[in-house]
Amino acid sequence: MPSKKKSEPGFSRRTFLKTVGAGGVAAGVIGPPATAEAQAGALGPGPVPVQLNVNGRVHKLELEPRVTLLDAIRNRLNLTGVKRVCDRGSCGACTMIADGRTIYSCSVLAIDMQGKAIRTVESFTSGTVLHPVQQAFCEKDGLMCGFCTPGFVTSAVALLERNPKPTPEQARKALDGNICRCGTYVRVLEAALAPRAASGARGQREVPEGSAGGATERERAGVGPREQLREAVRRG
Amino acid sequence: MASWPPVSDRALIGKSIKRLDGPAKTQGTAKYAYDVSRPGMLYGRLLGSPHPHARIRSIDISAAQKAPGVRAALALIDPAAGEAAKVRYQGEEVAAVAAVTEEAAEDAVRLIKVDYEVLPHLATIEQSMRPEAPVVFPKGNVTPASERTEGNVDEGLAKAAHIVEGVYSTQVQTHTSLETHGGVCEWTGDKLTAWVSTQAVHSARDGIAKALGVPQADVRVLADYMGGGFGSKLGFDRQVVVCARLAKAAGAAVKLMLSRKEEHLVTGNRPSAFARVKAGTDASGKLVVFDAETWGTGGAGQGAGFSVPYPVYFFPNWRQRHRDVYINAGPQRAFRAPGHPQASFVTETVMDELADRLRIDPLELRMRNLRPPDASGADPANRQWRKYFPMAAEKIGWSKRHPTGDATPGPLKRGLGCAANIWAGAGNPKTLASCEILPDGSVTMRIGTQDIGTGTRTLVAMITAETMGLPLESVQAAIGDTNHPFAPGSGGSVTVGSVSPTVRVAAEGARNALFAKVAPALGVEPTALQAKAGRVSVTAEPAKGMSWRDACKLLGTEPINFQGNWEKGLSDVGTSGVQFADVEVDIETGITRVKKIVCVQDAGMIVDRLTAESQCIGGIIMGLGFALYEHRILDRNTAQMVNPNMEFYLLPGMSDIPEIDVTLVDQPERGVVGLGEPPTISTAAAVANAVTNAIGVRVRSLPVTPQAILSALEQERAGGTL
Repeated sequence: MPSKKKSEPGFSRRTFLKTVGAGGVAAGVIGPPATAEAQAGALGPGPVPVQLNVNGRVHKLELEPRVTLLDAIRNRLNLTGVKRVCDRGSCGACTMIADGRTIYSCSVLAIDMQGKAIRTVESFTSGTVLHPVQQAFCEKDGLMCGFCTPGFVTSAVALLERNPKPTPEQARKALDGNICRCGTYVRVLEAALAPRAASGARGQREVPEGSAGGATERERAGVGPREQLREAVRRG
Repeated sequence: MASWPPVSDRALIGKSIKRLDGPAKTQGTAKYAYDVSRPGMLYGRLLGSPHPHARIRSIDISAAQKAPGVRAALALIDPAAGEAAKVRYQGEEVAAVAAVTEEAAEDAVRLIKVDYEVLPHLATIEQSMRPEAPVVFPKGNVTPASERTEGNVDEGLAKAAHIVEGVYSTQVQTHTSLETHGGVCEWTGDKLTAWVSTQAVHSARDGIAKALGVPQADVRVLADYMGGGFGSKLGFDRQVVVCARLAKAAGAAVKLMLSRKEEHLVTGNRPSAFARVKAGTDASGKLVVFDAETWGTGGAGQGAGFSVPYPVYFFPNWRQRHRDVYINAGPQRAFRAPGHPQASFVTETVMDELADRLRIDPLELRMRNLRPPDASGADPANRQWRKYFPMAAEKIGWSKRHPTGDATPGPLKRGLGCAANIWAGAGNPKTLASCEILPDGSVTMRIGTQDIGTGTRTLVAMITAETMGLPLESVQAAIGDTNHPFAPGSGGSVTVGSVSPTVRVAAEGARNALFAKVAPALGVEPTALQAKAGRVSVTAEPAKGMSWRDACKLLGTEPINFQGNWEKGLSDVGTSGVQFADVEVDIETGITRVKKIVCVQDAGMIVDRLTAESQCIGGIIMGLGFALYEHRILDRNTAQMVNPNMEFYLLPGMSDIPEIDVTLVDQPERGVVGLGEPPTISTAAAVANAVTNAIGVRVRSLPVTPQAILSALEQERAGGTL
């Protein structure tokens, strides 16, 4: 991300924090006052105040610092759309969007996500109208048992927000961090590409073929994380 | 007798219909057992044995009981129980706690002190079969051979002009359902409500009641949604019983879902399969003999059966001698088409080897040796390989297939392979459903089945709506609840054949009862009426009639409730299909990329074309995992699973998916046929044969990893054994 100078218009504390990119600092600055004294030493192990901005609402929670973002959101906020499946960042069922980027919420601590705008699958519908991605998943049958579906939907939404017209290859890479056991991939890919076709006329920015556009790091690397992992495993 | 409407007259059946629960699943509002939250709910955790074989001397839960937030703790093994005081695999449940948070439960589990007397264990089949191996299992480590045979194998072997011999094997595969096993249990007095991640609400209810020693009527099992099972969630699950006991002890609802590691260790797997085969043909390429010595392990105390030769091809003389081998690992469970992918891999690989020996096209050898037609001279409707093989061959471009070994220069080798499947899933005649029509026109179909991702909920609604002549959205499908009439567990591809006829019968019965109310008002006989396009009208004179709503108003205050029983004639038994694979293998890295899979599958009378196709695609993708990636690896010294996670237990991902070309052969005259299992059977065999066709070296073991390919090539270069 290009860093903005302080004099530039549009600078905000959040931009500053994002630029610094240090979760600990975020916790210290934006977090409730109680964390200030703890900042010098370790937090916890008992519950500490944690403030999370989820789907546009700020929630004040008392959480042990070891609680993951996923568990905080599922067990404390009862937003159960995102699922716990592998619990170690390899299946994508817990995918959320934090400040515009997809994250594996099972592998970040809630306390480190203070000050970030977190979005879950529950936030995509406007009123009773499904998000175009959700609509496409339903129409293409990009789901079976449905347990991976919220993660895939979230990854697809995030992809289309960064890159409204992904190529099939870009979409495949963006969705390569999600695992489905029923085997819906073929139709998930079709679903992720369908809103692109539908929104093609909107004149959103074009991304040239072959470039990853507003890509995540894993996309920029040119290889899906599972491919990288698999190669690493194969090489021993 | 109930019947299906004529094909030309179907508004929904046979069309591509979106799943009814798509919006709930894509929005994350669908509640799975894992998502259920009850007032005051506690979280349960299990303590599993770290040792693959041990006797429990004592379990001390006192420290755990006193830990902060803990509301209940249970020892699950009685040290005085003799043989029952032993654990026989890593992860076997020893104790459990329930606490106010997951973290507190996690901490408390660590405070449980167990005194284990560690016993000798067996981590591999080879260890278990050694004559000097310690006898770890009450009935011995290896079962006596069971024999199945037909014809005369010795004569067949003497007569054969060409014989191939080899040892073929497949790995242990874990189900890896994304939603782990478990549930939420809540007692109200003596009544238990259990939200369970299950493929069989009724048998879950029966199992839980039996284990707890309470009347079945006191247990209600709910499974509105469930996150995959693939056969592993058919039985009753110990963790739900533990969950119920914790809930009773704590006086609060408890959620107990397994961790991913526990899921890999204790919730079942597809057993390994080994086959030493000697098979032969006569000089003209007619199969004459198949003789197999087979074994495999389903872990601790469970069998590992599979039947070869796979019954697609006709061997006049065959024999299989099978032994189950026990090791100290989690026991097997039914896994999507139990025994079939293993048997298919062994048999189809042998077929390709025989074809190479004869120097004929492997497809030609298959076509010459399919099981013969029945007495009428025609192939039965559920054994149509003679028709499907050429269809799929055409689609994959089989005519361009080169002989074994791609002679193209460079490291990338292309190859084609094929394999066939057969499956027999019949409807369960005990299935019941109840259809209610309310005076305001509401229609609800209640049936105690469950939707395991196949689309059963949508199918129930489709058949009900079709029968009532209503739009899909105006009927309710109520499933996943033991308060609904009995339907069997979703295993063996029996669901569609059990549920569809029964729902049709119940819907027709309810509709005919409505006709009886409406007929006098229209001055006709009830049989003269039809329900179509939202109206009840006279069939011969459709203008004469009334809207569905007005028709139902005639019910006054008395709803219609009709219980339907399964009837014969609306479903059929069994299906057949073929799959072809086109692969590219890099002989420098050993990496296989599947480029294309062609699938031709008999689908009987298709109810929902969209979900039927998805079922085939999903089966194929699971077959790719079995072919190339999935492997439960046990450490040969410690018998600990090395990859009990989703990082190193590799499943296919988005980048691994080839082009998949599915042709469903619609045979409406057959009635409905189950499709859950057949599409996963032949994928691995087709892929393995394609790999051999590419690299020119026989692959006799799954998964076909890069390492397996590189060592096969290495062995070949070194003069090898082939």
